Amino acid sequence: MSGRWNCLGVWSLYKREVRRFFKMATQTFLAPVITALLFLAIFNLAFEGEGRSAADIPFVEFLVPGLTLMALMTNCFANASFAVMFEKIIQTIVDTLMPPLSPTELTAGYILASTTRGLFVGLAVGGSIFLFVPIEIHSWPFLIYHAISAALFMSLTGLITALWAEKVDHVASINNFAVLPLTFLSGTFYSIQHLPEVFQRVIQFNPIFYMIDGFRYGFFGYSDGSLTIGVILMFVLNIVLLHFCRYLFAIGYKLKA
Amino acid sequence: MSLAPTRPAQGRANLRGMSTLYVKEVHRFLKIFGQTLIAPIVTTVLFLTVFTVAFGTDRQVAGLPYIEFLGPGLIMMTILQNAFANTSTSLIQQKLNDNIIDVLMPPLSPLELTIGYVLSGATRGLLVSFSVGFALWLIIPFNVHNAVFILVHGVGAAFMMSALGMMTGIWAEKFDHVSTVTNFIILPLSFLSGTFFTIQRFPETLQTLSHFNPFFYLIDGFRYGFTGHADGSVMIGLGVVIGANLAVWTGCFLMFNAGYKLKA
Repeated sequence: MSGRWNCLGVWSLYKREVRRFFKMATQTFLAPVITALLFLAIFNLAFEGEGRSAADIPFVEFLVPGLTLMALMTNCFANASFAVMFEKIIQTIVDTLMPPLSPTELTAGYILASTTRGLFVGLAVGGSIFLFVPIEIHSWPFLIYHAISAALFMSLTGLITALWAEKVDHVASINNFAVLPLTFLSGTFYSIQHLPEVFQRVIQFNPIFYMIDGFRYGFFGYSDGSLTIGVILMFVLNIVLLHFCRYLFAIGYKLKA
Repeated sequence: MSLAPTRPAQGRANLRGMSTLYVKEVHRFLKIFGQTLIAPIVTTVLFLTVFTVAFGTDRQVAGLPYIEFLGPGLIMMTILQNAFANTSTSLIQQKLNDNIIDVLMPPLSPLELTIGYVLSGATRGLLVSFSVGFALWLIIPFNVHNAVFILVHGVGAAFMMSALGMMTGIWAEKFDHVSTVTNFIILPLSFLSGTFFTIQRFPETLQTLSHFNPFFYLIDGFRYGFTGHADGSVMIGLGVVIGANLAVWTGCFLMFNAGYKLKA
């Protein structure tokens, strides 16, 4: 019926996508946990626990939010981008485009599935780090808001990348040359206070900086940048990307002849 | 004149065949040089930035400025990971596409197959290490303490990982298997063998265990070549590198010879 949501359709797409990554649970969940724990071990061994953090937060603890959010973000991006990329390459994307799903519904199904993966990975990584480095949470609302908005942001970016990309190489390029540098250089592993002043100012234009900063604020009650800007920016960016994604599906960009 | 491929006279190596396999494999990774050669440079420079910013540039590790300690470790890490990635993904892809037969049918002996693949994987590892090394050289002052050690350990690492990647590719039945080995064995070993820190930081038990880890000797000897500082014995290291190479090459040869998971 016109004007009603195709809930069953969105649910089916969501379920299919979630099953896709649960099928390889070891790769999906265990691998990021191991990687995060390795980073934690390396940073502690290399720095003898004396890396430069901020506001008297012990360096080990300072790392926890960054590592958790990094795992969450890379997985959201990977999931959304590879899901659609693969379907395009093996030409099964038509099975997703043919059913009566509106552009909004397609976007919703894919994004919710990747967000689910990111949040699960974040939970797994955060939980396993917590076993080694127990931390008290300062503000749950901040933590949850930033986790979810970072997940949405990266899923949307991943989905848009996959819609644009024509081969796996394109997706990998965006990942290696844009996503990875922006994630690494956004204060994941250090407080931006330690950067030269020019970079401190440049980094304020990196949206990922606000995600990590706000997420970290949820843990410690300490932030490098403005929290208000962060909260508003995340909201606005996600709305914009959501509409853009919907628009790409609507015009069938690189999907329909 | 028959056009069917034939082997050269008994007892001679099929040089043409080997070089064809080698060229094919090198073309494969050069075609996506953005991923295979440039991406590792970006990643390594990122690692360098993150570690120096988080650590401060004024600290010393094992009597060296941290950045000089880190440089060789990062280069070695890229050799290890890229040499392994090349042969393992190449073989599993050919197996999944069912075109591995095109490599098995030509008159190449198991030894020739091993050499062709190992050399191509090693080429990627070494090419990446040159580009990464050059990028780092622009940022970090490098000394060369002993060029022989740099060469032996660099090439030894590339050969060893390339051969290990082959064994993984032959054994694996799906991509998942290759990623499992990469994520749960290669990555931890290359991270925890003294790439980023001196193993003197380890508790004593782990230090002792590290002396049984070939990755540790690869990194340690390679770093010795640059800085003159080694955590372990460099002579034992040389022996381990040569021994480990003999072992994995033999492993590859035996797998091809038996047709393990390749021939019905």
